[in-house]
Amino acid sequence: MLDMNLDKLFKIAKDKGISDIQVYLSNSTNLSVQIFEGEVDKYEIADSSSLTIKGVYNNKMGVYSTEVMEDEMIDEIIDAIIASAKVIDSLDDAIIYEGDDHYEEVEGLYNEELTNLDVAKKISTLNEVDEKFHNFDKRVKNVEISYTETTNSVMLQNSKGLKLYNKANASYIISEVIVNDGSDQRVGFDVKITNDFNDYKVDEMVKDITQDALRSLGAKPVPSKNYEIVFSSLSFATLFSAFQGVFSAQAVQKGISLLKDKLGETVGSSLINVVDDPLMKKSASSRSFDDEGVATKFKYLIEKGVLKTYLHNLVTAKKDGVKSTGNGFGNGISAVNMKIEAGDTNFDYMIASVKDGIYITNVQGAHAGANAVSGDFSLQAAGYHVLDGKIGEPVALITVAGNFIEMLKDVIMVSNETKMTYYGITSPAVKIKSMPVSGK
Amino acid sequence: MLLEKKLIEALLEAGLSRGADFAEVFVEGTDSTTLQSLSGRLEKANNGKLFGVGIRLAKKFQTVYGYTNSKNPDDLLKLAEDLSKSFDDKNITKRKPLMELEVGKRHGAKIKPSEVSLEKKVELIKKAYQAASEYDEAIKQVVIYLLDSAQEVLIANSEGRFVTETRYRVRIGMNAVAAKDGVMQTGGVGPGAGKGYEYLFDEIDVAEYAREAAETAIIMLNAEECPSGVMPVVIHNGFGGVIFHEACGHPLEATSVAKNASVFCGKMGQKVASDIVTAIDDGTLENRWGSANFDDEGYPQQHRVLIENGVLKSYMIDKINARRMNAEPTGSSRRQNYKFAPTSRMSNTYIDNGDSTFEEIIAATEFGLFAKKLGGGSVNPGNGDFNFAVMEGYMIRDGKIAEPVRGASLVGNGGNILYKIDMIANNLDSARGMCGSVSGSIPADVGQPTLRVTDITVGGKRGA
Repeated sequence: MLDMNLDKLFKIAKDKGISDIQVYLSNSTNLSVQIFEGEVDKYEIADSSSLTIKGVYNNKMGVYSTEVMEDEMIDEIIDAIIASAKVIDSLDDAIIYEGDDHYEEVEGLYNEELTNLDVAKKISTLNEVDEKFHNFDKRVKNVEISYTETTNSVMLQNSKGLKLYNKANASYIISEVIVNDGSDQRVGFDVKITNDFNDYKVDEMVKDITQDALRSLGAKPVPSKNYEIVFSSLSFATLFSAFQGVFSAQAVQKGISLLKDKLGETVGSSLINVVDDPLMKKSASSRSFDDEGVATKFKYLIEKGVLKTYLHNLVTAKKDGVKSTGNGFGNGISAVNMKIEAGDTNFDYMIASVKDGIYITNVQGAHAGANAVSGDFSLQAAGYHVLDGKIGEPVALITVAGNFIEMLKDVIMVSNETKMTYYGITSPAVKIKSMPVSGK
Repeated sequence: MLLEKKLIEALLEAGLSRGADFAEVFVEGTDSTTLQSLSGRLEKANNGKLFGVGIRLAKKFQTVYGYTNSKNPDDLLKLAEDLSKSFDDKNITKRKPLMELEVGKRHGAKIKPSEVSLEKKVELIKKAYQAASEYDEAIKQVVIYLLDSAQEVLIANSEGRFVTETRYRVRIGMNAVAAKDGVMQTGGVGPGAGKGYEYLFDEIDVAEYAREAAETAIIMLNAEECPSGVMPVVIHNGFGGVIFHEACGHPLEATSVAKNASVFCGKMGQKVASDIVTAIDDGTLENRWGSANFDDEGYPQQHRVLIENGVLKSYMIDKINARRMNAEPTGSSRRQNYKFAPTSRMSNTYIDNGDSTFEEIIAATEFGLFAKKLGGGSVNPGNGDFNFAVMEGYMIRDGKIAEPVRGASLVGNGGNILYKIDMIANNLDSARGMCGSVSGSIPADVGQPTLRVTDITVGGKRGA
């Protein structure tokens, strides 16, 4: 949809006094299919692009983004960039990047086979999943399966001669089942993510989700007190996602991160290793460069409990006198693929080690019940009561409360398997020494 | 016009060509500005332009949707044809001729965002910053966002609907961070309206709101951790209505009702709340944050009584789910933008006034939590379990508001909390929110008078 002559845009920008300029074109194509009660209920195809133009005027950065990409827009774009640069009085430098010597190439970020696989095959797999859910148990009352496939491509070009391109794809199967035994109703939910359709293990998926939902029927709150806590991969990733912003150097420099002044200090148990892995396979977010044109790289954020680095873009890096970590995305800073690394404890052993605790499989309200500035959180949770090493009664409507840093320090076991979650965070299961639980 | 009438007609025809029984074209052009300041300095001033076309086809319950930001007639016709291939039926539904274009006239803007210079917008931000930062020396950081948008939509369908309107919205978000002895707490407010800059320039005092954000941060900085346990909770007016929005509003949307995935399924005409509860969703309120002339299927927005004196009166229903439910649509279909197929959503939702007073409710509560300001929350529509955060809370002791407490969250179930409301005050107020769901993030008002819930699980860091 790019119908704009970029050379002309660059030239007019220069003529009007913009010293450096960058264009960032992002295109996304989507296919989405939803199955309900054995039929295709929704089908969606989409193709959209947007162009974000950043220009430096009097050492301030003006920005304009548009989905109308025609030559007739050029003057409007340039004028808006200048107008916005004029009102900005931030002390931040306005930087357009000259580029790195080397950009990592990773095979398989874009899997053409996934795109080319016949839609009919994708739909028949979904129908199979739907049927298997219904046949699994007669308490399964309602099944909703959807499939989404996304291809993201980005092109970055600037007046310093940099020109970069990245393309990645991924697909998701989202399953939601409602189970009802006449006296209680519960929901089973999970998302599987991959860019290789062969990775979908239908039977396993159906079994895991349905069994978890069935086991949670009749879930009740437990008495309020401190319990040993085991977080599942998904629930720990959910909790972690509420705090991922604290690694941003922007938040740190603004004084609104709990990790301020903590570089080189112990912020977690020695079992905790957190990395950003920008070239992780099978993630549609994977990128070899960030939105500022800086090469991305694998790095430890927390290594053996010690905070190693913040995430930087060009501006925050210059302020701290370091090199950008290649995490300048959108309007701010974010990790590409945040990952809490696996430990060496077998999950069954972890459960067996619990005397009186809660195995938490689900937390909710992470966007509201967690304070990324103070680190305090109080989240709705559900799971199972674990007594003398055995998973027992289902638990729901409890809250688990704590402080992010204190919790990381109290991690006493990390499981040896990780899971990529739809929060963009990959996590193992972890065991926390003790946390206050509020129930009945 | 965003797209030629002739082309729209051709798209509708192409959409119906292989047996779909309904076709709809949604065209959108949106201009928006986002300003962000940190500690009084303007960090960002971004302008943006959105343009796109969404085409939706349906046959009975089955829908297909596609979108593109191409204006090119060939691209658009190809999209309509590609979508139509999902159907294969010789019975072709005949399109009704488009009615004369109806222009939505309510909820206009006196001072349109495009008529206000960036400099004037920046002045508002500076004024708010000054008020918040001067409130107390413990205020260490003030983040202010100013957002405005003008969304022009053109909606046409095979049943002859043909409407257009421009929806203006302005909002200023102010967040204050207070810090002392290594502890940080935040407070925030976000007034906004479905109108132009007359709201921010003339109708409200942004400085007053900014001080309110700072006040919350300071009070919470000096608060104790909230105790946990089951107790009566008095939820204050305004944003307190988020409880109804999350716990009851979402399960009343056809999105969950039509698929039998809501606790309110099959409850029409039955008692679902205590007698004193009347709840309304009204997308017609003049210039309100969640209002519009038309819903995103092109039908007039409505005043919907959801619950009247405890009895369920209406769901919120869109066109396609209406077919599934064998009911009439209620003008409730909304979407974030052309990238989303529309579905049933809330607009401005509130619990109506009761006949107690705020003072009576507090005085009648021996011990409990006064949740003065709530943060966000979420609900599981399958079983109605919800949770939300308390941004500013106080203990109630001996019928009086006592010490402030922080870190509380409220956990409960939407199916039974409505029965537990035993007092409702007469001080209805509303507040702005952004509601995220299947058809994207949309502006929605929440509201209620102060009310009391007899018992609710309070999660806090301090033991029971």
